[in-house]
Amino acid sequence: MRQITPDISSALDRVQLSERVLKLRAAYFRAIPEVCDERPGLITEYHQQHRLFQQDRITPRDKARAYRHVLERREPIVWHDAAYARNGERFPIDAQSLFIGSTTRRFKGVLLYPEMMALALWPELYSLPSRKQNPYYIDERTRDALNARIFPAWMDHSLLELARKRLVAPGEAKPDFELLGRLVFFLASKPNCVSHTIPDFSQPVHRGLRTMIAEANQHSKTAATPEQAEFYLAMVEVLEGIVSYSHHLADCAAQMVFREHDPIKRAELLTLAELHRRVPERPARTFREGLTTVWLCWSALHLENANVGLSLGRLDQLLYPLYRADMDAGRLSLSEAVELLCCLWLKIGDHVPSVPESGEQLFGGTGSNQAITIGGVDRLGRDAVNDLTYVMLRATELMLLRDPNLNARYFPGINSPEYLARLCLANVRSRATPALHNDAAVISALVSKGDTLEDARDYGVVGCVEPCSAGRHYGHTGALLLNLPSVLELTLFNGCHRHTGLDRLITEATGDPRQFATMEDFRLAFAEQLRQLAERAVGVNNAMGKTYQEFYPSPLLSALFEGPMQSGRDVSQGGAQGNSSGVAIIGLADVADSLTAIERVVFAEPRVDFGELLNALEADFAGHDALLARIENATLTPSFGNENEVAEGNAHWLVALLDRTFSAHVNPRGGTYRVGYWTMTNHAGFGMLLKSMPNGRKARQSFASGITPRSGKTPELLRTLNSVAALPSTMIANGMALNIKFMPEGSDSASQQQMLEFFRAAVEGYFTPQGADAGGMEIQFNVTGSDDLQRALLDPKELETLLVRVSGYTAYFKDLTPEMQQEIITRTQYRLSSGQSAPITSVRVRDPITSEAAE
Amino acid sequence: MIRLKQWALRVLGFLFSEWLAHRFARLLSWRLVNHLRGDATSTLLLLLLGAMDTAFCLLESYRVNISGLKAVYTFRTDDGAVSRTVRFSDGDMIIEHEQDPHADAIVDFKSATALRSFLFSKNQDVLDSLLRDEVHVHGNLNYVYRFAFLARDLERRILQVA
Repeated sequence: MRQITPDISSALDRVQLSERVLKLRAAYFRAIPEVCDERPGLITEYHQQHRLFQQDRITPRDKARAYRHVLERREPIVWHDAAYARNGERFPIDAQSLFIGSTTRRFKGVLLYPEMMALALWPELYSLPSRKQNPYYIDERTRDALNARIFPAWMDHSLLELARKRLVAPGEAKPDFELLGRLVFFLASKPNCVSHTIPDFSQPVHRGLRTMIAEANQHSKTAATPEQAEFYLAMVEVLEGIVSYSHHLADCAAQMVFREHDPIKRAELLTLAELHRRVPERPARTFREGLTTVWLCWSALHLENANVGLSLGRLDQLLYPLYRADMDAGRLSLSEAVELLCCLWLKIGDHVPSVPESGEQLFGGTGSNQAITIGGVDRLGRDAVNDLTYVMLRATELMLLRDPNLNARYFPGINSPEYLARLCLANVRSRATPALHNDAAVISALVSKGDTLEDARDYGVVGCVEPCSAGRHYGHTGALLLNLPSVLELTLFNGCHRHTGLDRLITEATGDPRQFATMEDFRLAFAEQLRQLAERAVGVNNAMGKTYQEFYPSPLLSALFEGPMQSGRDVSQGGAQGNSSGVAIIGLADVADSLTAIERVVFAEPRVDFGELLNALEADFAGHDALLARIENATLTPSFGNENEVAEGNAHWLVALLDRTFSAHVNPRGGTYRVGYWTMTNHAGFGMLLKSMPNGRKARQSFASGITPRSGKTPELLRTLNSVAALPSTMIANGMALNIKFMPEGSDSASQQQMLEFFRAAVEGYFTPQGADAGGMEIQFNVTGSDDLQRALLDPKELETLLVRVSGYTAYFKDLTPEMQQEIITRTQYRLSSGQSAPITSVRVRDPITSEAAE
Repeated sequence: MIRLKQWALRVLGFLFSEWLAHRFARLLSWRLVNHLRGDATSTLLLLLLGAMDTAFCLLESYRVNISGLKAVYTFRTDDGAVSRTVRFSDGDMIIEHEQDPHADAIVDFKSATALRSFLFSKNQDVLDSLLRDEVHVHGNLNYVYRFAFLARDLERRILQVA
């Protein structure tokens, strides 16, 4: 099949946003998220009516019936006609999407999962519309329903509470939920979600749900055990639920025809009614039917799976045959394809996660992080880039939305340099997207962790940057976030942490570092502290995983995943083909540089007593200027990211240690733990909780993001890229985020062309394998200089839609906390023309209350 | 004596209009209002619980918040200087001096400021509470969320009437 049409890129450049999309996009940016009680209300009602709260276990069939109950009773909304603005004013939406239905009842809704962490919003029910960061609208009826009826029902039945009260089996260690509550050591996301995976949309698109229902029914009759038979019937329940919802939408659209006077809208409604009577029940025949199937199945999945990192996978691969057939038959034009995708992109962003105010303060600005993956190679290793890859790129750079999070795969030597250049151009145009992934490095990392080569080649990106074989690997890639500087802290203070008090032992003591004779002694103590903390973190995650198995099986996701239909087991029970859990490490560069500082300052001549270093840390370096100067001297104390043997050695040692430590653990689904280096906004959040570190970082300062070297410490781009590329990607199977900031250069087309060529060459060089190294795994950009970011803070219009790359996902700059804004502004910025860093002038941050920028 | 006071307040609440009942509740809670607007002192917890009790008696619209709630909370300072247990049952609120180790939620706080930051939206600085490691919850967090709602709803009512 023809994959790339000559000049597709320039043809797409002529496509602009349609009037429909412009209006919908304007409404999208104007609308404030509205809290919606539809899902929690219906779910609670079902649990109460069927006494599920009284059960000591909830089966997949129980859950499936609950979801079918919701799908059959939820309001079928064809088009939203109004939304609320930030000032509380209700405004009309005068354009109609090409996709109908919605994740919530609202145009832009806040999805609530009382089974998980929704109750954390309870204290804020009156203050949500006026809170400083990311306010939500909530009407009185919704507030009363949540306060009086919905939240009270879940007080003793949220997953965290069920896990906390769960009896520990003989020989099983008691999970340390107390430590989780301290926040400063690790975060476990299972109390809030699992999600973080890519469903298999190929079955509903190519076979249709009716065929899948028949298959599940057939399996139920021949199942080996009654439990398996029930599981297959659970699949039938949820798939029938999705079909019902689609038919309700069709009926609603058909009824609207009679009330509609506009002939164009009438025709659209008739088309939509016809579309929804066919798909997703039956196989998709056209590009639009394929997109509709994906949209409906994906939005239905959100009834079960929290809207955090539930990703869409390789849509350019899945839908290309339908797209090609439509184009070849003349049924679809480029501009229509772009318009369809733009409408879908807006639908994908029709909901936001519920984040309490404390979460916003620490980790705010995140969307739902639903990744879409384009490009790369196919299962046989052939170039998979096609016209639809380019169409999706164009839709993304025209829309400039936070969600979906577009990720592009590139296989050096297989995908074309022109494609890579186009990816770089999209980054320049959008300033922050897509993130780029090196297929060669990612595939070898996945294979090293047990994926087959074919499955590894078919990876998609989950959430921020995590690679998982699409539709078949249930990876919960964001299961744990480990605050690595806390491991260092526990080592420095012999099992204590300054945040929780030096009089309180958190982990078993590993010796007073003042007594250590060599750096090796310190490393051994660090490794032991890591082992202990990893064991506690994994213990919490595994306890939560078992609670999911007992109380929150996933029949919806199981029905739309490769493996459960064959194994007869729910994904929560290990029914998927792949079953890993993911750990994200926060603060790698800061800890690596701290190890280097200790090695160079305490264990190298002229030696500084360890006690003096500890005293300096206690004093936040006040009065220890000479020591600080020595630590900050790049020659005396080198930093990671400069191809220095000692500094790189410490980073490599940490990466290997973390991989070894977490690989030793198994999750309740039978999979292993994979380690990655992406931090979202947690490097700023965790940074605010930590006191000073041996690398000279002062208390409360942000850590370096992702796997990125520390800001201001890496003057040469090439050395930075080489340093990161040399890290062993086979030990980073849960993905990495290397954040690089480029200053836009040149205003004329010749210099812009040259900038693009430098851009492409830098990425190509970073991705190209060097000897035994597979090349850098991932890289993402902010193509906005620090001055421009600071200027944007003073210009509300510019600020409204300014996208930035945080560390993994994209965010609107305005939604970030002042600390996170400052972290991005102060990131090392490079001139592509020289490859050298450029100085950053004074930093202005926006006050979240006054919205004014201040020094 | 305490039950008598509650009974008397409920009678007044029944006789008063909603507007008047709010004014009266605010009048009786003036010391808490001052604490919410000014510096928090060690009496904040006692004032808060007292004001809650009064408001539950006087204001039916506030009392519906605890309809059906069966919960036990213990609040205590690290040094043991302040300690109260609150029992909610059948729409009623009972305050006791003794700690209950089996409470649904035990909230340890280092200072009145920390407690205020933790419970109230006004002056809230959750980050600082966390930074200083000043508030710890043992038990069911969902119960604390509900209590924080009650506290903020009370704050809203008595401050709005001002």
